[in-house]
Amino acid sequence: MSGLSLDATQLDRYSRHIIMDEVGPEGQKRLLESSALVIGAGGLGAPVIQYLAAAGVGHIGVVDDDVVERSNLQRQVIHGDADVGRPKVDSAKDFVTTLNPDVDVDTHQTRLGRSNADLIEGYDVVVDASDNFPTRYLVNDTARLAGIPVSHGAIYKFEGQVTTLHPDGPCYRCLFREAPEPGTVPDCATTGVLGVLPGTVGCIQATEAVKLLLDAGDPLVGRMLFYDAMDMTFDTVPYAEDPDCPVCGDDPIDSIEDVEYADSCGIGAGAD
Amino acid sequence: MDLELRFFATFREAVGQKTLEREFDDDATVGEILLTLESAYDGLEGKLIDDGGDLQPNLNILKNGREVLHMEGTETVMEDGDTLSIFPPVAGGA
Repeated sequence: MSGLSLDATQLDRYSRHIIMDEVGPEGQKRLLESSALVIGAGGLGAPVIQYLAAAGVGHIGVVDDDVVERSNLQRQVIHGDADVGRPKVDSAKDFVTTLNPDVDVDTHQTRLGRSNADLIEGYDVVVDASDNFPTRYLVNDTARLAGIPVSHGAIYKFEGQVTTLHPDGPCYRCLFREAPEPGTVPDCATTGVLGVLPGTVGCIQATEAVKLLLDAGDPLVGRMLFYDAMDMTFDTVPYAEDPDCPVCGDDPIDSIEDVEYADSCGIGAGAD
Repeated sequence: MDLELRFFATFREAVGQKTLEREFDDDATVGEILLTLESAYDGLEGKLIDDGGDLQPNLNILKNGREVLHMEGTETVMEDGDTLSIFPPVAGGA
C-alpha cells in the first residue's frame, strides 16, 4: 500500500472515516498498512476481529487453537451454525474475507506459549482476547519486551475489565503482579457469561486498537475501565507503574525463558 | 466511622452483594479492615492478606478510586465516608 492512494472502492468503503479530520485519507491508509494480532477468536475476539476488519486494518493475525462449538454461538458473532466443528481461525478468516477483501488474515491454529510467543513480533498492536491467566501474563510479558502495545480485555459473568498496556505506561503486572491460584477464578464455561457482554468489552478493545494504530485520542494507558452490565456503569480507575515490576520496573527481566506460566505466572523470588 | 465497601467479580459472590456499608473503628487501616472482612466472610479468608501481613499480589485495593499500593499499602488510614473497592483480576474472554 505504501505510497499508493486509496482507490475509488476504498474511498467509498471508508468514506465515513475519511470525512473526519481525525482519520482522513492519511489515517485510513495508515490503518490499511497496519497489522494487529488478535489472541483468541472467541467471545472477545469475535467483535474485535469484526470491527478491525470493517475498519480496514490491512493485516490481521488470529491465534486460536479451538474449534467452534454450538454453545459459542450465543456470543461469538463471527462464527455461524455451519461452522460448528471447524477451527475458529478458519471461520474467522472466512468472515473477514467476506466482509472486507482489503484485509489479509494470518491464521495461527495454536495455543500461545513460551515456545511460539515470538509470533507476536512484527505486529503493530496486540489485542488480548484470550480466556486464561497464563496466556494473559505471557502476552503482557512478551509484548512489553518487544515494545508492542496491548489492548487488554477480560470478562466475568456481567462484568468487564479493559485497559491498554502501552510500552510508555504501566503493564498488567503493575496492576496484578501474579495470577490468582489456578481454579480460584472460574472461567466462562463454569460460571456462564451474558452473551452481549463480550460484545461491549471487545468493541472497546477494538476502539483502543484503532486509536493506537491511528495514534489518535487518549487510550486507556494507566487506567482500568470496569464495566458492570447489570448496573450499566463504567468506572475508570487510574493505576501507576510499579518500580518493582519484574517486567517494566527498574530491574526488569530481559527474556521470558525462565518464567513459569503454568500456575501463578510469578517471576523472581518466591515465584511458583 | 462508616465506610462503603465495593466488591467486584468473585469477591461479590464471597460477600453476597456488590456494596456494603459497615462501621469500623476510627482510624482503622486498610490492613485491619481487610482482616476484619476475612473473618466476617468465609469466602474471603486468605484472599486479601498474605501470611506476612501484606496485600495478596493478585488483587487491587482502591481507597476512593486510588490504589492503596501507591499510598501506605496496608497501613493506609481510612476516614469516615471513604470508599474501599476490592478487585480481583479476571481472565475470561471466550
